[in-house]
Amino acid sequence: MSPAVPSWPGVAASAALVVLTVVVARRGRLGLTRDITVAALRAALQLTAVGAVLLLVFRHTGLAGALGWLALMVLVAGRMAARRTGALPGTFRTATAAIAVGTTASMGVLLVLGIIATQPRVVIPVGGMVVAGAMGATDLALIRLYDEVRTARPAIEARLSLGLAAGDAFAPHRCVIVRTALLPVLDSARTLGVIALPGAMTGLILAGVDPLTAIRYQIVVTYMLLAAACLAAVVAVRLSERALFDDAHRLRPLPGRRPSS
Amino acid sequence: MTFPTGTPAFTLEQVVVRRGGSVLLDGVSCRIPGAACTTVLGPSGAGKSTLLRLLNRLEEPTRGTVSYRGGPLPGWDVLALRRQVTLVAQQPVLLTGTVRDELRAGRRHLSGARLAELLERVRLPAGYLGHATADLSGGEAQRVCLARALAVEPRVLLLDEPTAALDATVTAAVERLVRELADDGVTLVLVSHDTGQARRLSDLVLVLEDGRLVEQGPAGRIGRLREGA
Ligand SMILES: Nc1ncnc2c1ncn2[C@@H]1O[C@H](COP(=O)(O)OP(=O)(O)OP(=O)(O)O)[C@@H](O)[C@H]1O
Ligand SMILES: [Mg+2]
Repeated sequence: MSPAVPSWPGVAASAALVVLTVVVARRGRLGLTRDITVAALRAALQLTAVGAVLLLVFRHTGLAGALGWLALMVLVAGRMAARRTGALPGTFRTATAAIAVGTTASMGVLLVLGIIATQPRVVIPVGGMVVAGAMGATDLALIRLYDEVRTARPAIEARLSLGLAAGDAFAPHRCVIVRTALLPVLDSARTLGVIALPGAMTGLILAGVDPLTAIRYQIVVTYMLLAAACLAAVVAVRLSERALFDDAHRLRPLPGRRPSS
Repeated sequence: MTFPTGTPAFTLEQVVVRRGGSVLLDGVSCRIPGAACTTVLGPSGAGKSTLLRLLNRLEEPTRGTVSYRGGPLPGWDVLALRRQVTLVAQQPVLLTGTVRDELRAGRRHLSGARLAELLERVRLPAGYLGHATADLSGGEAQRVCLARALAVEPRVLLLDEPTAALDATVTAAVERLVRELADDGVTLVLVSHDTGQARRLSDLVLVLEDGRLVEQGPAGRIGRLREGA
């Protein structure tokens, strides 16, 4: 019988799928042969490198190493989220802070309450999901914020003209932005298990854990993603607001156009 | 509430506003009297809206100073200033779902009687309180925005082309309201394209062209108003 997790020869054999893709691409004259080959090799090399580093961290560094790894991921995620919405001032700092707050709070609760183990082999993958969730929400919040400020400037200035403080004048827009940022997490929580088996659960089932145990993990993952996304979105909007308004409760002019993703 | 007659509400000294590469206002100096009606006239793009936005600090001068009641604007608490000096923008923007909520946008607690009175002042029937703001016509929206500004009981009302979207009858009604307010001691600064309106309403006319103040004085002494007469 074949193993639940592929062996190295098995992985090598799976390259047949890449060959199949290349053949199809050539037949269809898609001009993608090079791209497909590079992407496939790159995926293998990147994952091997990450696997090796993770092995080192798991074996030798303990919780401190795991947290260091997470901090690095937060920085990378901050950069990614900021790159998509660079037109707003100070986005890298804003995005990084938002993701850091979302991640710290979620992971903090999981670790302090002893819900998950403090071993790197648990903290790193779970933390990775949290960072990715926080990043997605931050990303959406910043994109929506930019559009909102562009289109709603007259409404914001109308509220300011009535003597409302910047925070109050922006409040309805803040709600819209945070709601938008949370939609994907809420949607996926709603359809969980119905449309697709979520990643964490799939992984556990593949590794031989029985479904009723696997869902325990998935429930925790869902809750922690909700918290991380919500906190990250709120922090991203709040911090951006400081850059959007000046001391005289005036909406600053927005720089140029949003760079496309 | 009222200003001693003759005291300027605003004083502008050598005000320059530059945005990007362009000069929106170029060395504007003038006094805007309190408890009176001042009209800013000029062709499109002359800088009229910019001048109005300076007065409640939605815009900051690049150079020069703007003073309100003798004190430079940056010395005022800006939120308190905007409750005294309220702007109604050129394009009406509705902020809420119903007319009732709209009137409460700047001041949360308004009695039913006060709400009805506000609508009456802008010549809208009291039955409009429950109307959805999305259903208002352009002219009705403009008047609801005016009533919303009146709700905060400002000392100074800045009106950017308040009658542009209104027909002759309603224009006459809003003009009467403007005169009433000025007589009650409210300071009015309004932007207009309409020389006839400037003549009917204003104690002082400022004429802007290309960011410069080219003429100022009582309506009767403005050259281009006489030409139009
Ligand atoms: N942020 C900005 N950056 C550059 N130019 C601007 C900016 N805002 C306004 N302008 C330009 O400054 C000029 C004056 O604008 P303003 O809105 O004050 O004109 P206006 O006299 O009110 O015109 P209208 O009668 O059409 O409303 C216009 O040419 C406008 O295009
Ligand atoms: Mg204008």
